[in-house]
Amino acid sequence: MANLIKEHSLKDLKTGEVAEIIGFKDEEVPVKLYEMGFTPGTKLLVKNKAPFGGPICVSIVSNKSVLALRRSEADQILINKK
Amino acid sequence: MSQYKIALIGNPNVGKTSLFNKLTNLRQKVGNYPGVTVEKREGNIERNGNKFSITDLPGTYSIYPSSLDEEVVLKVLGDPSNKLYPDLAVVIGEPSNLKRSILLYLQVRDLGVPAIFVINMKDEIESKGLSIDLKKLESFLQTKIYLTNARTSEGLDELVEAFTKPTNLYSPKFVVPNDYLTAVANIKENFNLDSDYVAWQYLSQKTIPFLDEEQQVHLNKIKSELNIIPKRLQVKETLDRNKLLEEELQNIISYNFKEKETFTDKIDRTLIHPIFGYVIFLGILLLIFQAVYAWSAPLMTMVEDLFGWIDETAISLIPAGPINDIITGAVIPGIEGVVVFVPQIAILFLFISIMEETGYMSRVVFLMDRWLKPFGLSGKSVVPLVSGAACAIPAVMSARNIENDKERLLTILVTPFMTCSARLPIYIVLISLVIPDETFLGLSYQAIALFIMYLLGVVGALGSAVILNLIIKSKHKSFLIMEMPTYKLPDWKNVILNVWEKTLGFLVNAGKIIFAISIILWVLGTFGPGEQFNNAEEIVTANNPKMEEADLENEIASYKLEHSYLGKLGTFIEPVVEPLGYDWKMGIGLISSFAAREVFVGTMSTVYSLGEVDVEDNQEKNTLLDRMKSEINRNTGEPAYNLASGVSLLLFYAFAMQCMSTIAIVKKETNSWKWTLIQTGFMTGLAYVVAFIAYQILK
Repeated sequence: MANLIKEHSLKDLKTGEVAEIIGFKDEEVPVKLYEMGFTPGTKLLVKNKAPFGGPICVSIVSNKSVLALRRSEADQILINKK
Repeated sequence: MSQYKIALIGNPNVGKTSLFNKLTNLRQKVGNYPGVTVEKREGNIERNGNKFSITDLPGTYSIYPSSLDEEVVLKVLGDPSNKLYPDLAVVIGEPSNLKRSILLYLQVRDLGVPAIFVINMKDEIESKGLSIDLKKLESFLQTKIYLTNARTSEGLDELVEAFTKPTNLYSPKFVVPNDYLTAVANIKENFNLDSDYVAWQYLSQKTIPFLDEEQQVHLNKIKSELNIIPKRLQVKETLDRNKLLEEELQNIISYNFKEKETFTDKIDRTLIHPIFGYVIFLGILLLIFQAVYAWSAPLMTMVEDLFGWIDETAISLIPAGPINDIITGAVIPGIEGVVVFVPQIAILFLFISIMEETGYMSRVVFLMDRWLKPFGLSGKSVVPLVSGAACAIPAVMSARNIENDKERLLTILVTPFMTCSARLPIYIVLISLVIPDETFLGLSYQAIALFIMYLLGVVGALGSAVILNLIIKSKHKSFLIMEMPTYKLPDWKNVILNVWEKTLGFLVNAGKIIFAISIILWVLGTFGPGEQFNNAEEIVTANNPKMEEADLENEIASYKLEHSYLGKLGTFIEPVVEPLGYDWKMGIGLISSFAAREVFVGTMSTVYSLGEVDVEDNQEKNTLLDRMKSEINRNTGEPAYNLASGVSLLLFYAFAMQCMSTIAIVKKETNSWKWTLIQTGFMTGLAYVVAFIAYQILK
């Protein structure tokens, strides 16, 4: 049960994993996240994670555009692993 | 003939600047928007009997600003009384990210700005495996859509023709969310507005830049009464619009990717690899270093030779006298001091432009962000910091790419700590004076000392960033969410234009100050009060009757300098520099170094009466070194350049802000005397304290 309740954020994904955005941890995330296309329902592929807690590079599955964000921002994005 | 005002708007990386360059045929003016340092590009063209004034607005993802650049877009488009308010807004998108561009287009149109939509890079529609139902998209956007390819000029004529056509009627797509119906109605009534979306802007923007103070107070009162949190409204709007676009575009755009992995994906596997990515970046850095140092050397020699020739010609052409003196002694060397930096600056910006045009710069930011964030800097600070090791002037200019105002300011403030090429000659002279020419485990002490000086630059920059990070407050929250554009071959027109503009900007702006300062220094060093200065020749000749002519000339020059205004100044500040272990002669060197550090060596050789010294010529350098070694500090009775005073001097040069051109460029880029003076004071104060401590411990 514990596993089902635990929320996964984009930060927890490994390189190569695909997930769908289901929501955000709180409302204080930068609006730019939404503007850049991190909206609920969007499917993402984790392309690369910079070492030692650096930014994460993701590709949006539908149009293959590539975006990068810091882990602190990625941690705000709740996801469902695919 | 009327003039049409056209504004180009679009997300970053859609080829907007290329399109602007093509449309204006490179005939453009670069200035600043009133009150901010954001660069404004404008071009005037005449086509088909009409005049157009085209403005390239800063790239933005929406009308909700997250950087200084983006605020300009709201200022221009939100306020019909703004001088730049366009007759037509051209919203530009590119095939891969149409949804994002359409979101911006709809915001612009909902504001009531007449707009058309352009899909640039039209060749990528097919090559990326996209199909777009243009008819359906046109009816959804309520405008004709223009397809262009800025690189090949395809579609540009049709686009220019569209500038004079009336735009289609547009019925707003924006629907006021139920929760905010009363609030919007309230604003419409209070501010006499017709449009729902404009009223919504009053609520959803943090500030409305074009309201006067009274209106602002009124608005804030209403907002707090209604419990409005602007950001919530922005999020609501963006999510609603995204949802709408998701549904609508489903039947309009379809993606049929031919390959699983794109070209960009393949390259990225190496370029942002956790190990190879850093190795390659390091390699590119070394290449840039090498280029700025080595490739520029022959060009700089050419500049020097050219000016040497001009100077000689001027000496022979203009009759001897004060006019000749001022032109050949101050004006020409002053101009030379500016032009000699041009090769380094041009080469550096060539590399930076290429890195930006190809899309590699975003990868560097991605790799470096983690390492600079703890210092309050951003991944984007890499470029200025690295460039600073060549010359702080172009480095400070390159900080423009940093969106967050605080990170940009911090970067500008700490970049001049990096060891620039002008410090090198001083380091070489001083190190060979005070550090023993011996080896330790095969490493020369002098080489280690030089390496430590470079390290000190990095430590100074990052260390002061930590301190300033605690002081400076940001208007915008720091975050990093960025696009990693697909790799492309650079558009050479953009590269060349960029290099040209940056170099010219330096020549004009920094040039004015360097020029003025070198004239002032020359005047101070050439004129002096009283008998001793005016009769220097007779006095020196009388005191040294047996001296050879060349030596005598140098001795006279030295005597004159001592009694010139500059010499008086050196004596005057002696009490200030004495605790650091310097005498008045070194004081003169320090004062003249505030124009530019490289002046130090020249001033020292004048003070020690050696005529012109070329540090790269070993014999001449050794003469200067011998003379400096035997120099006795008249205050202490000890050698003027011993370990204590030498280390103190090295540390002073490592930290002090001694470059007029950097001060000038920092003023231009920050648009603030406050920060410019804080930086100069901070750096020079730190230099003084560190040099003082070092001297007092070592003496």
